[in-house]
Amino acid sequence: MAMRVALRCVPANFSHKGPRLSHLAQISAALQLRRTDLTRTLSTTSQFSTALKFTDKHEWVQVDGKVGTVGISNFAQEALGDVVYCGLPEIGQKLENMEEFGALESVKAASELYSPLTGEVTEVNTDLAENPSLVNKACYKEGWLIKMTIENPSELDGLMDDAAYEKFIKSLE
Amino acid sequence: MVLRSLCVLRAQAASLSGLPAALLPGGSGLDLPGSGLVLRSLSTDVFQNLALEDWIHDNVDLQSRSILLLWRNSAAVVVGRHQNPWQECDLRLMRRSGVPVARRRSGGGTVFHDPGNLNLTFFSSRKNYDRARNLRVVTGALRALRPGIDVRATDRFDILLDGHYKISGTAAKLGRTAAYHHCTLLCSADRPLLASLLRPTCHGIHSNATASLPAPVQNLMDHDPSLTPESITRQLAQQYLAEFGSGGLPVVPVQPSDPAFGGIDRAAAALRGWDWTHGRTPRFSVDTALELADGAAAATASVHLEVKAGRVEACRLGVAPEWLPGGPPARLAARLLGARFCPSEAAAVAEAFLRAEGGGATGARLGDLCDKMVALM
Repeated sequence: MAMRVALRCVPANFSHKGPRLSHLAQISAALQLRRTDLTRTLSTTSQFSTALKFTDKHEWVQVDGKVGTVGISNFAQEALGDVVYCGLPEIGQKLENMEEFGALESVKAASELYSPLTGEVTEVNTDLAENPSLVNKACYKEGWLIKMTIENPSELDGLMDDAAYEKFIKSLE
Repeated sequence: MVLRSLCVLRAQAASLSGLPAALLPGGSGLDLPGSGLVLRSLSTDVFQNLALEDWIHDNVDLQSRSILLLWRNSAAVVVGRHQNPWQECDLRLMRRSGVPVARRRSGGGTVFHDPGNLNLTFFSSRKNYDRARNLRVVTGALRALRPGIDVRATDRFDILLDGHYKISGTAAKLGRTAAYHHCTLLCSADRPLLASLLRPTCHGIHSNATASLPAPVQNLMDHDPSLTPESITRQLAQQYLAEFGSGGLPVVPVQPSDPAFGGIDRAAAALRGWDWTHGRTPRFSVDTALELADGAAAATASVHLEVKAGRVEACRLGVAPEWLPGGPPARLAARLLGARFCPSEAAAVAEAFLRAEGGGATGARLGDLCDKMVALM
C-alpha cells in the first residue's frame, strides 16, 4: 500500500465517522508511517488491536486478538447506494490478500469485495440476508460483513489507519 | 496520426491484434482527440462476450478514455449476479432448445439475448460513471433515426417505448477505479421464445436472491421496420462519439478469440462452467408437491429441498405409506445429499438407487418417484 500521505504527528481533522483512536495511538500510527521504508523490526499491530485499518478498496478490518472483522467504509456505502443484496463467502473459505471474496449489489451496481488479509472465514453476518441495508445504516457496526483469521499479521502494516484513509478519500474527490 | 494507425489496424484483415495492446496502460495509446471509442464484437458467444467485457474493464486504462462496446449473442438467457436461474428461467426447456444460461458479474435482473437484441456496454472511470448520460445516447440515437418516437429512460434506468413497453434494461458493475454500465435494446428479438423461456423451472422456490421485475416488452422493429439492429448500431456509434467527444472515428471490430486478449478463453470457460452459472446461486429452498402415478392409481408426495452452492443440502420426501413404504423414499432423499441440483446428476443417483431397491412390487412407483424428482430440476 503506497503511503503517499503527508506525515503529521497528530491528524488535525480527526474524522468522527470511525471509532476514536487514543491520542497516543494517533502519534504512534503517524510514526509507523514514517518507518515504512525501514526494516520493520517491531510488530506494531498488536498495540492497535481495536483500531480500524483501511484498504484502498474501501474495506476496513478491525483486529481483535487473532480474528479480524471486515466491512466497508462509509465512503463506500455512500457511493454504492442502497444495498439490496450481499453476496458473501462461506465459513471455512480461505481468502488471499486482495482476492475477491464476494460482491454487494445495490440499486446502482454490483461492486466486488476484496479481502484485506490472508486468512480463513470464521463467521458471516447472517443478519444481512434479511436486512442488507444494515451495510448502509451501520457500516462500522451491525453492517459488518465477515470475520476471518489473520494468517499474516504483517499484512496489517500495509493498510491505512483512519487518518491516512481520510486523506486518501479526499484525494479521490 | 490517429486515423492512420486505425486504418493500419483495420487493414489487418479486420482482426485487430494491435488493438488490445494499444489500449493498455503504457500501450501506444491510440491518442485520440476526444476520449471516446466504439468497439463492436465479432463474436456471438455470450460467454466470450461477457469475458471480453471483463477483460476491457480489468485491463484497459479507462481513466482518460470512455469506450462503448456493441455486441449481440446467439440465443441465451443471462441472469444477474445474485439471481436464481431455477427461479428466473425454464432450464428444462432451455436444455431441450439448446439455449444456454449465463450469469453476468453485474447485478440486476434476467434478460433474453438473441441476434435481435443489441447489447451495449459503456465503460468509463468510476468518477465518470453516469447511467443517465449513457441512456441519453440511446434515446438520442433512436430519436435521430425516428423523429418523434416516444422513448424515455425511467428512474430505474429502463427505457420505455410509448411510456409502456420495456425495450431496454440496465445493469452495472463498479470496480475500484473503473465501472461499466450495460444495457440491452430490443430490436427484433424472438418474443415468443423469450416469453416461453423466462418462466420458473419449478415452483415453490424460496430464496432471497434478487428477483427480476417482469414487464411487457416490444421490439423496436415492430414499431418501425427501419429500426433494425444494423441501423441502430450505426446511429448509436455516431451518437456516442458525438457525446463522448471523438466524432468521426469508425467503429472498431474486435475478435475476442484473438490471442492478444490474453486469458479471455479461460475466462469464458469459467463463465460457462456450472459452478459459476448454477453453483453461484444464493442458498434457496424448494417446497412443492409431486404428482405420482403408476398407470392405475395416483398420489401426491411432498418435497422439501435445500440447495446451497447449487448442491442438495437437505432433502425430505413425504409419501403416503399406502403408496410407498417410508424406507425407500427416505433412502432416495439421503442419496441425493451433496449431489448437484441438476437432472443429469440426479438421474445418476436415481439409477443407482433403483438398481439397489427398484425390484419387486414397488418398483414402478419408485421409478415414477425418481422421474418426478429429476423433472423438478
